Amino acid sequence: MYTVGIDIGSITAKAALLQDGRLISTNLIFTGYNSATAGKKVFSELLLAAGMNDTSGIKVVSTGYGRSSVDFADKAITEITCHAAGAYFLNEKIRFIIDIGGQDSKAILLDEKGKVKNFVMNDKCAAGTGRFLEVMARALEINLDDFGALSLDAQNPAQISSLCTVFAESEVISLISKGVARENIIAGIHESIGSRIVALAARTGLTTPLMVTGGVAKNVGLLGALEKALGFKPDVSKYAQLTGAIGAAVLANKL
Amino acid sequence: MQAIKELSAIVGDPISYARKLKEQSGKKIIGYMCTYAPEEIIQAAGAHPLRLFGSNKNIFLADGHLQAYCCSLVRGVLEDALSGDLNFLDGMIFPHTCDTVQRLSDIWRLNISYGFHLDVVLPVKLDTKSSRDYMVDVQNRFRNDLEKALQVTITDDDIKKSIALYNEIRGGLKKVYELKNKNPEVISGKDLSALVRAAMIMDRNDYLRILLNVIAELETKGSTIKSTGKRRLIISGGICSQPDIYSVIENAGGVVVGDDLCTGSRYFEGSIKTAGNPIAAIAERYWQRPVCPAKHLDKNARAENLIKIAQDGKAAGVIFMLLKFCDPHAFDYPYLKESLAAVSIPSLLLEVEDQPQAQGQLQTRIEAFLETLS
Repeated sequence: MYTVGIDIGSITAKAALLQDGRLISTNLIFTGYNSATAGKKVFSELLLAAGMNDTSGIKVVSTGYGRSSVDFADKAITEITCHAAGAYFLNEKIRFIIDIGGQDSKAILLDEKGKVKNFVMNDKCAAGTGRFLEVMARALEINLDDFGALSLDAQNPAQISSLCTVFAESEVISLISKGVARENIIAGIHESIGSRIVALAARTGLTTPLMVTGGVAKNVGLLGALEKALGFKPDVSKYAQLTGAIGAAVLANKL
Repeated sequence: MQAIKELSAIVGDPISYARKLKEQSGKKIIGYMCTYAPEEIIQAAGAHPLRLFGSNKNIFLADGHLQAYCCSLVRGVLEDALSGDLNFLDGMIFPHTCDTVQRLSDIWRLNISYGFHLDVVLPVKLDTKSSRDYMVDVQNRFRNDLEKALQVTITDDDIKKSIALYNEIRGGLKKVYELKNKNPEVISGKDLSALVRAAMIMDRNDYLRILLNVIAELETKGSTIKSTGKRRLIISGGICSQPDIYSVIENAGGVVVGDDLCTGSRYFEGSIKTAGNPIAAIAERYWQRPVCPAKHLDKNARAENLIKIAQDGKAAGVIFMLLKFCDPHAFDYPYLKESLAAVSIPSLLLEVEDQPQAQGQLQTRIEAFLETLS
């Protein structure tokens, strides 16, 4: 049996295809303005790449903030439950997830069956999320893909006290005008996000093994800062950004 | 239900309602901030008690007076006062509860020229013999202050009549909650929320008539409605300023069967004894009633009350809905959450503003919470 999970995030739309519980294909596109269109597109491209023409009999679960706009899905499930299912699918030992997405971050505590025991989400604020890093990258004139790696060269990470995207940007601008090296500013940004997210996780019963999911897990500099704040190296899957979609496909298997 | 539609319109625009009521009845309108304001005495004085709930306007005037850590409820009320929207008020009552309401009282006294200004300095600890006596003195003093401010005499008979009216209203609301507990889909959460708030806004005699009709209708309707088996939840917090939350919960497969809110059960719990000194009887209800976190009873009192509400409601979980920056509620939250966890009742914390929220985030949290309960 084929199942598909579609995760419509605030920045990217992801899809994962499972055959009898085995991951066989994934796809990722930008969400853009219309999440309904993005849902259709990420789905049809996924099937096309897998060489499937017949969509009948495929169970689909949608997730992410745009989950209700995927009108062809059999069920919509929140990204919290889907990330838990996805992380558990990728590694059954995982008991805690830090998910950093485009618009929000979450800390999720799992039980031994991969079910959500507790979770906490950041408030309506882009601090410490992918969008925040995009704003910072723009202020520093760095390509987002190089942003994480550059901070690894930092000698003296700068102090960024505010995590409000708007205020932090003005802090960064004053650091720029003081002539602080880019890598130090970026490392400072990562450290402030890292400690903030670990504080969020601590409120939810932080435990190990811990997996970092979401698109921001691609940022090696932030992973380093998280490791520093956590005091241990978190687990990161190569499917970090696709974890929600994979979890949705896993849950579709149980419909 | 037609009656609820009318009430919802009033709850949606209480200021217009109160202005019209004043024009038509000639009654003095007295604003108040919370359920610790002795409404019964205001009603007995022939005036109309109007609870203020914050504003749906953009807040900018109030921000010139209040720090950023003040809750949106207080900021909203001050905004409406400073903009002149509340200039029909003949007086304003500030019961001593949280610090922010105290600051609002001071700012009001210094900046608002219309209407009289009265503080009701209630005791904070409600588990001592002296606080019981003091509570009676506070109510007596309030009666005298109000007589002077309104230039009326408030007789014991006036107060007794008012008490009877309030007992009927509170008993009626309790009845509606019982009907909802028995059959959660007999009335939507949004409608019930409007019904409770209207009790603090409308002319109390008019309100009671409508309430009794609503109860009769719900009793008939209750027997015909089949439960769809939604997950039963309790809401705990201060005011519920976002009735949309009930619809979000209902759409996600849950239903609110009870609450520990000051726009809910804390408003109507406890009836006032009709025998004896009426002022002492009013004081006694305040002394006995489930407390808000700005008051102190035995340190387990709030948790025991919340657990009882949850168990009576056969609730699968509790949603804490706290106004951002409400420190008394935030202070109690960790211990309430742990007390619930100790009896295996899961809970979810939502911090909200008085004004509408980013719906998507609220919805995701509530849906995810319901998913963890299944």
